[in-house]
Amino acid sequence: MNIRLATAGDLLGMQACNLQNLPENYTLRYYLYHAMTWPSLSYVAEDSKGRVVGYILAKMEEDAAEKNEPPHGHVTSISVLRSYRRLGLAKKLMLLSQEAMATIYKAEYVSLHVRKSNRAAIGLYRDTLGFEVHGVEAKYYADGEDALAMRLSLKET
Amino acid sequence: MALSSKRALPAKETALFKSLLQLYETRQYKKALKVADQILKKAPKHGETTSMKGLVLTNLNRKEEGIQLVKAGITLDIDSHICWHVFGIVHKADRNYEEALKCYLQALKFDKDNINILRDSAQLQVQLRQYEPLQETRLALLKLRPNVRLGWVGLTVAYHLNNKLSEARTVLQQYLKTVKGVPDYDFEFSELLTYYVTLTEETGDYADALQLLESYAKDRSIVDKSAILTIKARLLQKLGRSNEAAEAYDCLLVQSPESFEYYQGYFLAKGIDLENISDETRPKALELFQALSEALPKATSPRRLALDIASGDIFRSMAGAYLQTGLVRGVPSLFSDVKALYRDTNKQDVIGELVLHFSSRLAEYDPTTYVWSLYFLAQHHSHVSPTKPETALHFINTALEHTPTLPELYMIKARILKRCGDPIGASQTMEDARMLDFQDRFLNTKSAKYLLRDGLIEQANSVLGLFTKKDAPSPGADLEEMQSLLYLLEEGRAYRSVGKLSLALKRYRAVEKTFSDFEDDQYDFHSYCLRRHTLNAYHGLLRFEDTLRSHPAYVESALAAAEIYIRIYDGGAKVIGAATSQANEDKEAAPAAPVDDDPDGLKLLNAKKPLEEATKLVRPLEELLPLDIRVWTTSFDLALRRGKYLQAIRALRAIQNVRADDPELHYRVVLLKTSPASTSLSDRSRVVLAKALDGLTPPDVPLEELNTLFLQKNPGSAAAAFSYCRSLWVIKGQAVISDVEESLLQLARPEIQLSIEVALGALEFLQNVANSARSEEFRQAMVKRFPLSTVFKTESEKASIRTDLQAKPPPPEEPGHE
Ligand SMILES: CC(C)(COP(=O)(O)OP(=O)(O)OC[C@H]1O[C@@H](n2cnc3c(N)ncnc32)[C@H](O)[C@@H]1OP(=O)(O)O)[C@@H](O)C(=O)NCCC(=O)NCCS
Repeated sequence: MNIRLATAGDLLGMQACNLQNLPENYTLRYYLYHAMTWPSLSYVAEDSKGRVVGYILAKMEEDAAEKNEPPHGHVTSISVLRSYRRLGLAKKLMLLSQEAMATIYKAEYVSLHVRKSNRAAIGLYRDTLGFEVHGVEAKYYADGEDALAMRLSLKET
Repeated sequence: MALSSKRALPAKETALFKSLLQLYETRQYKKALKVADQILKKAPKHGETTSMKGLVLTNLNRKEEGIQLVKAGITLDIDSHICWHVFGIVHKADRNYEEALKCYLQALKFDKDNINILRDSAQLQVQLRQYEPLQETRLALLKLRPNVRLGWVGLTVAYHLNNKLSEARTVLQQYLKTVKGVPDYDFEFSELLTYYVTLTEETGDYADALQLLESYAKDRSIVDKSAILTIKARLLQKLGRSNEAAEAYDCLLVQSPESFEYYQGYFLAKGIDLENISDETRPKALELFQALSEALPKATSPRRLALDIASGDIFRSMAGAYLQTGLVRGVPSLFSDVKALYRDTNKQDVIGELVLHFSSRLAEYDPTTYVWSLYFLAQHHSHVSPTKPETALHFINTALEHTPTLPELYMIKARILKRCGDPIGASQTMEDARMLDFQDRFLNTKSAKYLLRDGLIEQANSVLGLFTKKDAPSPGADLEEMQSLLYLLEEGRAYRSVGKLSLALKRYRAVEKTFSDFEDDQYDFHSYCLRRHTLNAYHGLLRFEDTLRSHPAYVESALAAAEIYIRIYDGGAKVIGAATSQANEDKEAAPAAPVDDDPDGLKLLNAKKPLEEATKLVRPLEELLPLDIRVWTTSFDLALRRGKYLQAIRALRAIQNVRADDPELHYRVVLLKTSPASTSLSDRSRVVLAKALDGLTPPDVPLEELNTLFLQKNPGSAAAAFSYCRSLWVIKGQAVISDVEESLLQLARPEIQLSIEVALGALEFLQNVANSARSEEFRQAMVKRFPLSTVFKTESEKASIRTDLQAKPPPPEEPGHE
C-alpha cells in the first residue's frame, strides 16, 4: 500500500472512507479546511488503483495560544477500510502526521478523542503509540457514549 | 464623484443610508429593513436605498420580493455602483457566478477603484477560470494598494494561473525583497517561500530553484523538512546530479518507507525506470530492492514492488515468500494487494498454484493459515472466471465450514454470489457478515449496499439507520447531508431497478447537487489560501476542481439520470400522464424548488425539457472523459432525439476513435441512418450529413448488408450479436422477428461468451421492444445458462428463494473477537 501526503484530490476518497468506517462524518468543506490550512498533516494509504483505503485527517489546535496552551496537534479522524486493517497502516499514518506536527509546528503533544468502547483504536493509541488517557469527556458522542481524551507527548526525550 | 441629483439625499437620510450599509454588513437585517423604509418614506425613488432594501429582503427569506426591488433600484439609478454591486451580490448568493461578475464589472465602470468590488471580481474570475481578466484585476488592485502584501501574492498567483511564469516569479521576488522581520518558525511565510521555489522550478530554472531552496533550508525560513527534501531530491535529479538525488531519496525513504513516489525517484536516480523494466535493468533493480528491504525491515513496499518487476523463477520464489507471510499473518487484503500482478497471466497462474500448494499442505497443521489460503483461492477463482463461480464457491464454502465465525469469509462469499447474478443470496450472506460484528460500520455499509442491490430498499434504510444520526429526519437524509455518494448512487440504482424512476432521478439529482456544492466549496478558498499562503495546496485544489466531474460517482449518476430523462421523453405523455409536450418549451422553467416540496421526485419526472436537462448533465463529461464510450453513446442518444445530427455524428466518431468495432457504435450508426427525421432534412443538410458520415461507414453498402458484415466480423461475441439483432429490428421491424428471436436464442450456446448484463438486455428487448412470443423461452434458456443466478427467475420463484434463505439458521454466535 502506498502511503503519502494527502492532496485536494484525495479528499473525496478520504470522506468516502470515513463514511464507511465511522459514525462521525464531515462535509467536504471541512476536509478542504484541513488541507488548505495544514497541508502537511494529513496522509492517505491507497491501493494499486489509487483508491483511498486509509487516512488520517489532522490539524493544529487553532486557539491553543488563547487558551494558554502550548501548540499542539489534534487528530480529527483516522480510519482504515476493514480489509486493510491490522497491516500497520493506521500506525504508519499516525507516525507521519505526528512527525510533521512536531517538526513543522513545534507541537508539544498531539490529542484525540476516542470512544470508550473502541478497543481497536485504544489498542493502537495506547499500546502501540504510547498515548495516555488525559481525561474522560462524558457523553461526548451524539449517541451518548463517553470519549477518552488521549494525549501523546511529542517532546524529544 | 459628483452625485447626480437623484442620488443625493438630505443630510439626515445620508446618515441613515450609512447606517443601513453598516447594519447590512453586520447582518442585522431586521433593523436594516426599518432604516431602509425610513429613508424611502422621505425619498421613495432613491435607487440605492431601494436596491439595499431588496438585498436585505433576500436575506430575510423574502427573496422574490427582494430581487424585484434590486432590479427596480437599478432602473431608478442605472449609473450607481452600489446598485450594480448589490445585484452582483444577489447573483453570487444564487451561485450564478457569471451574472454576478457581469454586475461587478458594470459597478466598476462607475467606481473603477473600488477595492471591495475589485476583490470580489477577482474571486469570481478565478471561480470562472477567467485568468486573463483576473490578472488585470489583480494588477489594478496592486497599483491601488501597493502596501498590502496580499496584493503581491494575489498578482503572483494570477500570473501563475495565466501561465505567465516569469512574471509571476518576478512579482514574488520583488515582494520577498520587501519583507522584513518575519518571526522564527513562521509556517505561513515558510509556505510562501516553498511556493517561490516550486514556481522557480516550474520556470525550468532548476539551478536557481535549488539554490533558493538550500538557502531557505539553511536559515530555516522553510520549516517543512520533508518538503525541503522532496523538492531537493527532485531538483537534483532534474539537474542530472543523480548520486546526490539518490542520497536524498534514500533519506526520504527512511522517513516514509511506504511512499511509492520516493521509490520511483530513488530508482530513477539509480538509472532505473520502474515503469519500464528491461531484462538489462531487472537484476540490478532486484538487487536494490533486496538491499532496501534489509535497510527498512518494517516496510512492506520493497518486497511488494519487487514482485512487479521480478520474472520467472525469481518471481516464483519471491511471490512464495510474500504470499506465505501474508497468509500466516492472516492479511485479508492479500488478494487485492497482489491482484494488480494478474495483468501478467503467467504471474496470475503462478500465484494460483502457489496458494493452492500451501493450502493442500496446511490443512493438517495450521488451520488458521489454511482458512486464509482458502479465502485467497476463492477470490482468485472468482476473479479469473467471474461467471463460473463453482470453484470459488467450493473454496469459500470449505473455509466457512471450517470457521463459520469470520465476517471476512461471508463478505467474499457475498461478492462471489453478486458477481454470478444472485443478488438475493448475496444480500443474505452479507447480512450474515454484519450479524457477526454489529459494531463495525464498514460491515453495516456493505450490507446496506447489498440489500439495495437486491431491491430491498426499506430494509437497507433501517440497517443504515443504525449508524446515522438519530435526530435526522431519516437515515437517508443524514447520509445525503453528509454527502455520501455511495448511498445516493446505490439507492438511485435500486429505485431504477424496481421501476421507481422518479425516486431514482431524485437521488441522481442529489448527486449532481452534491457536486455543485463541491464546486462551490472552493469559492472561499480563493481568498483564504492567499491569506494563509498555502499556495501549493491551493493549486492542487484548483486542479481537483477542474476535473471534479470526472469522478466516477458523477459519471454514473449523470449517465443514469440521462437515461431516465430519455425514457421520460420517449414515453412522452403516455407514461407520465401530465407531462407537457415539447410545444411548451419556450415557457420559463420554474426556479429551482426547495428540496422538500417534491419528496417523491414526481415533479422531476414531469420535466418540461428532459433532453436539455440530460444534456446539461452529460456535456461536461465529453471534455473530461473523451475516451469513455458510455459518455458518447449517451451523448448520441440525446443528440439524435434533439435533431442535432452533427453532434450525433461527432459522438459516433469519438467512439470510433476508441473502439471501431464497438457494438453500441454499430447499432447507433444504424439508428442514425434510419432516423425518420434525418430522411426529412433539406437536401443541403442531407449533403452535409452524408459528408459527415463519411468514414463512419462505407458509403455505398446497404444497411442490411452492413449489419450482416458486422456480425461476421465479430463471431462469438454476444454483445455484437445483440447489436446485430437490435439493428436488424430497426431496419426491418416485425418482418424479421423470427430471425431476431432465433439469433438471440443462439446466445445460450455454451461456446458464446455471454455476460449476465447482455443477457438481461436481450430479455428486456424481446419482452418490451419486440413483444416476442418467445421471450419466455429465452428466459428459461437463461435460467439454464446461468444456473446460480436468480435474476432470470420469476417473481414467485425469487420470493420463495428468499423465504428459504431467511429460514436458514443465522451464523453462529458472535465470537469473542479482540
Ligand atoms: C482503529 C483503526 C484505525 C486501526 O487501524 P489499523 O490499520 O488496523 O491499525 P494498525 O494495523 O496500524 O494497528 C497497530 C496496532 O494497533 C493495535 N490494534 C489495531 N487493531 C486492533 C484490534 N482490532 N484489537 C486490538 N488492538 C488493535 C494493535 O496493537 C496493532 O498492532 P499489531 O497489529 O502489531 O498487534 C481501524 O481499526 C479502524 O479504522 N477502525 C474503524 C474506525 C475507527 O475506529 N477509527 C478510530 C476512531 S478514534
